[in-house]
Amino acid sequence: MDKSQAQDPLREADNGATAHTLRIGVYVCHCGGNISDVVDVERVVQAASGLSNGVVTRHYPAMCSETGQNLIIDDISNEKLDRVVVAACSPSLHEHTFRAAVARAGKNAYLYEHVNIREQVSWCGKSDPDGATNKAIRLVGAGVAKARLLRPLAPISMDAKRHVTVVGGGVSGLRAARDLARIGLAVTLIERSASLGGHMAQWHLVYPTEDKARDLLRELVDEVIGDPNITVHTRAEVIEASGYVGNFLLRVEPEHITVETGAIVLATGFDLYQPQEGEFGYGQYPEVITLDQLERMLDPEGPTSGRLERNGRAVNNVCLIHCVGSRQIEGIHQPGPDGKLNEYCSRVCCTATLRAAGEIRRRFPRTNVFELYRDIRTYGRGHEEYYDEASRLGVLFCRYEADRPPVVSPAEPKKGPGLICAKHPPGRSGKLNLVPFSAEEPDDSALVVQVKDTLTFGEELEIPADLVVLVTGMVPREIDTLVDQLKLSRSADGFLQEVHPKLRPVELAVNGLFVAGTCQAPMDISESCAAGSAAAAKAAALLASGRIELDPFLAPVDLDVCRGEGKCVEACQYQKAVTLVEVERDGRKVRHAEVNSALCNGCGMCTAVCPTGAIQVEGWRLDQFDAMVDALVADYAETEVSHA
Amino acid sequence: MSTRVHPELHRDIARFGGDDITKCMNCGNCTAVCSLAGDGAVFPRKTIRYMQLGLKDKLLASPEPWLCYYCGECSDTCPRDANPAETMMAMRRWLTAEYDHSGRGRRLYTSEKAVVTTILKAAFIPLALLLALHAVTGFQRIVTDRVELNTFAPVMWVWAVVLLHFAFLGYHLMMNALHMIQHIMKPEDPEAKVPWAAYLLELKSLAIHFITQKRWRECGEEHDGQWLTHLLLVSGYVIMLVLVVGMLGWFQTDNIYPVYHPQRWLGYYATLVLIYASAAMLIGRFRKRTQVHRFSRPTDWLFPSFILVGAITGILVHAFRYAGWPWPTYGMYLIHVMAMVAMLDSEVGIGKWAHMIYRPLAIYLMNVKKRTQNQAVPEAGALPTN
Repeated sequence: MDKSQAQDPLREADNGATAHTLRIGVYVCHCGGNISDVVDVERVVQAASGLSNGVVTRHYPAMCSETGQNLIIDDISNEKLDRVVVAACSPSLHEHTFRAAVARAGKNAYLYEHVNIREQVSWCGKSDPDGATNKAIRLVGAGVAKARLLRPLAPISMDAKRHVTVVGGGVSGLRAARDLARIGLAVTLIERSASLGGHMAQWHLVYPTEDKARDLLRELVDEVIGDPNITVHTRAEVIEASGYVGNFLLRVEPEHITVETGAIVLATGFDLYQPQEGEFGYGQYPEVITLDQLERMLDPEGPTSGRLERNGRAVNNVCLIHCVGSRQIEGIHQPGPDGKLNEYCSRVCCTATLRAAGEIRRRFPRTNVFELYRDIRTYGRGHEEYYDEASRLGVLFCRYEADRPPVVSPAEPKKGPGLICAKHPPGRSGKLNLVPFSAEEPDDSALVVQVKDTLTFGEELEIPADLVVLVTGMVPREIDTLVDQLKLSRSADGFLQEVHPKLRPVELAVNGLFVAGTCQAPMDISESCAAGSAAAAKAAALLASGRIELDPFLAPVDLDVCRGEGKCVEACQYQKAVTLVEVERDGRKVRHAEVNSALCNGCGMCTAVCPTGAIQVEGWRLDQFDAMVDALVADYAETEVSHA
Repeated sequence: MSTRVHPELHRDIARFGGDDITKCMNCGNCTAVCSLAGDGAVFPRKTIRYMQLGLKDKLLASPEPWLCYYCGECSDTCPRDANPAETMMAMRRWLTAEYDHSGRGRRLYTSEKAVVTTILKAAFIPLALLLALHAVTGFQRIVTDRVELNTFAPVMWVWAVVLLHFAFLGYHLMMNALHMIQHIMKPEDPEAKVPWAAYLLELKSLAIHFITQKRWRECGEEHDGQWLTHLLLVSGYVIMLVLVVGMLGWFQTDNIYPVYHPQRWLGYYATLVLIYASAAMLIGRFRKRTQVHRFSRPTDWLFPSFILVGAITGILVHAFRYAGWPWPTYGMYLIHVMAMVAMLDSEVGIGKWAHMIYRPLAIYLMNVKKRTQNQAVPEAGALPTN
């Protein structure tokens, strides 16, 4: 453990100033109107001026901008500021930004206090601007009060294993493993099934390049297997995980191996939605299949050697039904076995379906292809071209509403030949060039799909089908053991949830865990690879130096006060974050608590139970809380606008 | 009730032209720009959608194709270059063939060989009849020292044959029109009945639209020229028809009347108008500058070409007789008659006669339906009676 904190940091950092003579700069951000449209920032600044001895108090449209940050830096050098308080957005967004600015000005980054007056004030107080302004003034007052008692802290630095474990050997995991190895990190790749490649290995051609999926995969798999930095375990599963960022310990079954690793990339992938028995005739009629099965049929190396046939009969009419198991609506769709609806769009299926439909029309021009869709969502680059192409190739589109889904049923028994003859348009001679269309029309399809087509003015259409293809979406894969062992957070739809969808898109809430590919959300191969590379880059950046810096907000023990009662050990939620140790002190053996800084999360449970106040969370010390509470309840009557 | 799709149907219709319909994505721009669409007639979009899916019964029951006059604005506007205007044209050809249960229409539209055979067969009839007449009479009826056309081709005999031919053609046309009415008026609800009064009360609109084709003018002023040319052509054509079918005994004469005599100036007017209009159409098709002339099928060249040939040969017969040249007169007369018989035989199945009837009939039937629907709507607040 490496903790170097000054004995009397206040005195040392502030050149003898006392808490009441400290020079404090207060900055109120408009957030481009997000705050200033509701909160009267002038009045907040005015009040703050009275609270902070009026050294520097400013408001500014965007404190996070470069000019905003430079304001702080210039004031620190020109006005000799000792503390900085910024009242702006949530600290999760920009606390780091302003700490970094303070550090750039040569001050300790922890002599900074962040006050949230956006999420906690302006956004929730739109109906009461005066009340919101008063609340902002009190929060700023509390921030200033706490700032007076801040002490300089040093980040904790510790060794980290320059090794990453990638869980999942699909395209995303393979990409991540290969990228990590090329950066020079050792990688262990753990795959549950017997072979690498995941779902992609089962696919025939992939958009938007029309590459053979297996060729692309083979290239990547060969690279991964041939890479001396990568160890691959197939038919293997992580069954136990412990440790912390930089030093995780994974137990892998059934090989009974233990992996010491610095970071973990989760690339566990998805499952295809399994249609319910009878959903669009699935499981009832052998002619009803799913899109992945169609892809297998189209594959020359697949079960039908690339022939489009069902039950030994050529397929004249194919009907593809979109959005099966995706975009489900309460009251319309049946919840799955887990009682949940898949409300999200699986995104990749529209383009994948259009691609397959186009291929059928090109390779089997006599086969009619119908696509029954709710909406066509060809969102990516080069995707809309597939819609254009399918349309040009004569794929017929019908649009159904969610509450009137298509109905698949067996065709009525074949009519006698006399009736079929009677259907011939009259007056057509028997010459070869005048074949009546009903002779070409395969009227003996096994199934009939009925759809109320909004493109045909709500007409009820009856479509003959030799093959009905259900375009099933992606559902979260069952990874409960990992979720449990690694404390992973999942979003409402069941996929793994990142820290922030935009700013930290591949990081999980637990430090050192990254997410790649479709275990996070439905995405296509390009996106999965991009996510794999992103996770690799993030993990590599974390472990590049072999050491990891952590925020110093943890609970050090005041050895003068600690009596070694051990209440903190009982209260601690994190395994082995605080332990009792026996040491020699002034010639006597004493017991006291010791905190493992890598495992401590600074939650403060120990502080609450400590009978002597020996253990306190840095950055959130009790005297700081006291000061904040005093400030919040102080008498501000003269600056507040009263409202009845 | 659900309608079965027949996706192969469009391959059949594509043989009549407009084979770009697979490009259509049903956006409806064509219908939005069409100044005739509306009031329950959603074309070309609806017609094209029916075509894509092969909803044959719906197509046969659609009067919409006949409400389009091919201004071409939809094709100009189509974001997919699916040529909706030409598709509507193809639809009219296909419908014409479908109404024609004899199969002649389909053969003529889909086979160039059939067009040539039909023309040759038809042209052979007057030649054979005339040869037979002269063979029977020992070639005594050919007067060579002066022009005696009515001796060469006795007008009453010719007239009788013309009337027979027209009865035959007219029967066909009426049958086809009847088929069209059956398809369009086929009720979706078997209970719903169209009262006879509605048919009677709308007859006036049938007559007006038949004579003027005035709905065409709603396409926009810039298309008035086309409408006028067409109206001139119709006037010339109808005059000639009346003169030949109704008054051949008066019209085909060896008397040379003074210029102010109606036999002369009616003939001159009709001939000039026909030459002008047919030449304008042929030039348009050569230039392909307007949408309506961009795509020409063999059958589209047929009618204006025959009109031009007919008018020119007619003028020449007249001129040769005036000049007193017996052989050129007789020869040109024979060519003239052969050409006109061939024209009528090929036109009744496929072209101008057909649409002359079908267009006003479609408007008429739409109006009859509308009148029935309006009457079927109960008055506000009226209680149902048992």
